[in-house]
Amino acid sequence: MGTISAAFGLISQALDADQSALSIVSNNVGNANTPGYTREVPDWQENAPIYVNGVAYGSGVSQTGPTSIRDKVLLERLNQQQQLSSASSARLTALDNVQALFPPDSGTSSASAGDIGSDITKFFSSFSSLESNPTDNALRQQVLSSATTLAGDISNAAASLNGQKSALDQDASGVTSQVNALTGAIAQLNQQIQSTSPNADAGTLEDQRQQDIGALSQLVGINQTTTENNGLTITTTSGALLVSESQSFQMTTGPVAGVTHFFLGGADVTASLASGGGELGGDLTARDQDIPNALSSLDQLAYNVSTQVNTVNNGGTDLAGDNGGAGDIFFQPAAVAGSASTMAVVMTDPNHIAAAGLGLGTGDNSNAVAMANLANQTIVGGATPTNFYSNFVTTLGSTVSGVQTDNTAQAASVTQLQTQNNALSQVSLDDEASSMQVLERSYQAASQVFTLLNTIMASALNLGEQTTVT
Amino acid sequence: MGEQAADRVKPALRELVVEASRALARLDADRLEELALTCQVLNRDMHCAPVLTGAGTRRDLAGEAREAVADLAVFGRVLDATRANLHVMCRLRDLRQGRREYVSERTAGELTSIHWIGPGTESKHGNN
Repeated sequence: MGTISAAFGLISQALDADQSALSIVSNNVGNANTPGYTREVPDWQENAPIYVNGVAYGSGVSQTGPTSIRDKVLLERLNQQQQLSSASSARLTALDNVQALFPPDSGTSSASAGDIGSDITKFFSSFSSLESNPTDNALRQQVLSSATTLAGDISNAAASLNGQKSALDQDASGVTSQVNALTGAIAQLNQQIQSTSPNADAGTLEDQRQQDIGALSQLVGINQTTTENNGLTITTTSGALLVSESQSFQMTTGPVAGVTHFFLGGADVTASLASGGGELGGDLTARDQDIPNALSSLDQLAYNVSTQVNTVNNGGTDLAGDNGGAGDIFFQPAAVAGSASTMAVVMTDPNHIAAAGLGLGTGDNSNAVAMANLANQTIVGGATPTNFYSNFVTTLGSTVSGVQTDNTAQAASVTQLQTQNNALSQVSLDDEASSMQVLERSYQAASQVFTLLNTIMASALNLGEQTTVT
Repeated sequence: MGEQAADRVKPALRELVVEASRALARLDADRLEELALTCQVLNRDMHCAPVLTGAGTRRDLAGEAREAVADLAVFGRVLDATRANLHVMCRLRDLRQGRREYVSERTAGELTSIHWIGPGTESKHGNN
């Protein structure tokens, strides 16, 4: 307050503040390459002035500790976009695997495995060939051979789809343990943060918490709410509690109708997790929606083709002279569901192919014509077999394309936000070097002031004295 | 002149859209500006260059446009995502521009401290 000793006090504070700020900058430089580290800046605070006889005297500066430069709104937005991106990524991977089973019709003569569209065409074409010579054994054998290829490809595709479904089921189950580990760690960090930094940014602890939340966002769709004393509540997007301050809630799994379901607090949250985002959301969407849709289409195709072909065959006369009782070519499924998996050729004797019309003699071909005509009739879901399959492949392709578009856009959004977050929170060595220079000059200036004050003080002490005090 | 214009158009359309998506993802304003200018040139060529008025060329361009539909859809989605991210980015811009606020703190009527809220610090901004 206007005295030399007061000036000493002020400049000592300045030196302390500068030293403290320099240590913050040093810590930033040291952690420049530490993953998840958020840069810190010194928080300067001007001390309240002291009034003496109505005159205000400054009372120096304090450095009240580092402040981490993070923006929680940005981080939350980043986590949300990460959830969407992870979900579409996981779903896209699964859909790519599904799509690989159903290549578009190549038009080649070789019956490549899985080329069901081509198989359908060849199967009905084999009846067209049989029309010209209905008693020819080689042509009859060709009908059974193409039927076997068609049935084999459809049942193989169904088996592969079921295999992919099981693999996704296992992946999804595996995610649970990772989710539980992360929610446990976040609850523990909440407790530490609430006890050590209830009113301020928790620095390193907050960095760790944000890293865990980011990792959790990649796995599952979450919402977060800040609570008292810097605590955090995390729920699934449907509101089921995962973390409530220092308490975490374990996600459990159990089999329901042959697939793994997910439970939180005793409630089945599988459906909400599927639509919530994260890797788990993508896996569950593929497992419970995309693959069942594909299986359902295959079932419908297998059921209708088998049923129609069997019906027509049993309505004709075979080479053995059976009138209206030639038997089934394909295994006759009892219901649509599961028809693709069980599709198989049960006829072993080609003579039982009823090429002739009922009662028209074994040399007739009218029933073979009827079989061949099935190819052009709307016998599967209001479409011809070929068109139904083609529509299915087109719809699948369109779904894949849509998810691909979503995924690309979401990845771009994550990139945008990540770039912004890095610009804000990552250590910039250029900035730190600049800060270091400023602080160095500030420290030098304060030291100079201190030296001058020391000289002034010595002069003051020596006033009127013979002995010099230095 | 006309042929040059056609050459300029031919390889550009799809790549232009893909590059625009990338530039938008990077928030590369300069690149976006360049691409916008390229689009302007394309439009001008379409309307002015005689070689482009031919039915064949127009058919080629229509084919190119069809090929670019999927990429255009991606660009549209990136644009939507960017729009949704804008409010967060605007908030950050305010923080970065360092609207320094001189804040005084009082306890029970007594002035206890006065400090600057510097650029980037979050304590007095937003809801966090």
